[in-house]
Amino acid sequence: MKTKDLMVAVKTCLKTDNTIREAVNFLKTNGGERIERSDVLPVVDQQGAIIGILSAHDILRAVHPFYLSMAETNLGNFTWDGMAESLARQAGHKTIGAFMTKDVATVRENDSLMECVNLMIKRNVHQLPVLDDHGKISGIIYEKDIFHVITEVMLDKEKGAQA
Amino acid sequence: MTSDIAHTSGQIVMGWQFWTATILFLGAYALIVSEKIHKTIVAICGAAVMIAVGILAQEEAFHSLELGVDWNVVFLLISMMVIINIMKPTGVFEYIAIKSAKVAKGEPFKIMVIFSLVTALLSAFLDNVTTVLLIAPVTLLICQALELDVVPYLITEALASNIGGTATLIGDPPNIMIASKAHLDFMAFIYNLTPVVILVLIAYIISIKFIFGRHLTVREELKERVMAMNERDALKDPALLKKSLIVLVITITGFVLHGMLHLHPATIALFGAGLLLLVSGIKDPHHVLAEAEWATIFFFIGLFIIIGGVVKVGLISWMSQGVLNITQGNLFGTSMVVMWFSAFASAFIDNIPYVATMNPLIIDMAKQLWPGLTGTQLLHHPDLMPIWWSLALGACLGGNGTAIGASANVIVVGMSEKMGSPISFKKFMLYGMPLMIESVLICTVYVWVRYYILHI
Repeated sequence: MKTKDLMVAVKTCLKTDNTIREAVNFLKTNGGERIERSDVLPVVDQQGAIIGILSAHDILRAVHPFYLSMAETNLGNFTWDGMAESLARQAGHKTIGAFMTKDVATVRENDSLMECVNLMIKRNVHQLPVLDDHGKISGIIYEKDIFHVITEVMLDKEKGAQA
Repeated sequence: MTSDIAHTSGQIVMGWQFWTATILFLGAYALIVSEKIHKTIVAICGAAVMIAVGILAQEEAFHSLELGVDWNVVFLLISMMVIINIMKPTGVFEYIAIKSAKVAKGEPFKIMVIFSLVTALLSAFLDNVTTVLLIAPVTLLICQALELDVVPYLITEALASNIGGTATLIGDPPNIMIASKAHLDFMAFIYNLTPVVILVLIAYIISIKFIFGRHLTVREELKERVMAMNERDALKDPALLKKSLIVLVITITGFVLHGMLHLHPATIALFGAGLLLLVSGIKDPHHVLAEAEWATIFFFIGLFIIIGGVVKVGLISWMSQGVLNITQGNLFGTSMVVMWFSAFASAFIDNIPYVATMNPLIIDMAKQLWPGLTGTQLLHHPDLMPIWWSLALGACLGGNGTAIGASANVIVVGMSEKMGSPISFKKFMLYGMPLMIESVLICTVYVWVRYYILHI
């Protein structure tokens, strides 16, 4: 199996000046059937080249006040009920450029699954953008999907051994 | 000494060495001001060239008390950084800040005043940037809890930290440098600067009451958020905190007594850092040491060598003659010019290279005024003392004038921008400049009355 067989095709790309709210809208509507796994959107420059991805984690970062991680102690002890909700309301207006994950590792459509596993482990990421032959973004491959494939294999093998 | 090219004779030889050193010095300062290259890199390169072309011998750059690196300053800074780096993770500073907000019962102006006073007090003993970096995160949290605009709180804290830092020998780098060059001890700063800093701080609190006090209101139910915070949750390592506080008290006592003990402040600080490293139970000091701000340390080292070069070739002497020609030997006039010029210079340029240049200039001026005197007799001449204090007050308080005047200002401007409330250069100046002028006016009256009328 190759990367392109398992990737989720990309329908929408973001630009750095998109707002968090727009990004969330794309995630909620464009996921379609696979909404539960399409939690990442690629970010491209004017020429369409990938410059980053916006993940659910990045969206959490847009809501997380930077000063909480600046303090030496755990300031999270001093937060209050309703803080996350009120910050989420404000975060919608922010542009994604400051929060996206830059310097992302990518794979090619024809790369092997092992190459995906290798990069996911080496770079400690849960998904990888997939590029076509022209270097344009064509999909995203998710850890969960690879996990599904390899666990199927494991279980099949066990069944075979038991039989 | 073979190194004396000209500067003690009064005759300055403007040969190639004079011009090379002058160009290096001016070029380095221009690059530092332009911020095109990091100031530490400029200082290191400038220093290396100063030695490489033979203006300063390496021996002089590294070991000469007059021309070389001021290791008093370097070791004092490193040692204080080590102490604070060990103390930071205990959460004591966050504890103090949250406690302050609760003491103020969530009242917005009371919080502003208590935060300002706490910041000023901590800055008197710690580096200003460190203080602001420790207090500001809690300030932002409290502002969000109370749904207050962060800008007035951040600005008042930065200004308070610069005012507080002026009060003691260890509060602000200009004071550390002046103390080392002028052989002034910790208590001299307490006697001469702390009283006026307290006056400045009182005037500052009254001023911010008029500027911000009227506009600050908070809904009652939001105060509950602050009152519900348990500041004890901030404390992470009570055992280490206890040890740190004991060492801090010993160190500050050491500073108070260092004149009597005939020990330099750097020795006291080094002792404090060593003791805390020893008792803290840290197995490998690598991390604590690596966290010292080496860029700042090397900036000082480089700068001292560059200044050493221009002192040696006589540029500083030439400048001090110029100052004396202008002031005609009127020392009251000189001290006022030094204070106000330092204030406005520090508002726009880094006060560290400024004071590094002014120190030898003032010493040279003293040599020309009292040619027969040397050592402490010269440096502590009664007529010279007000000039040292004017330099310290002007250079430290001047930092409040603009957003780039002091590192603490730069930090809060950056934080405010991250919070989505950018502070423009103009906006900062609108608050900072009048408050700076107010503080320097108070100092002017203080220096005039204390040293030129009452002579105490």
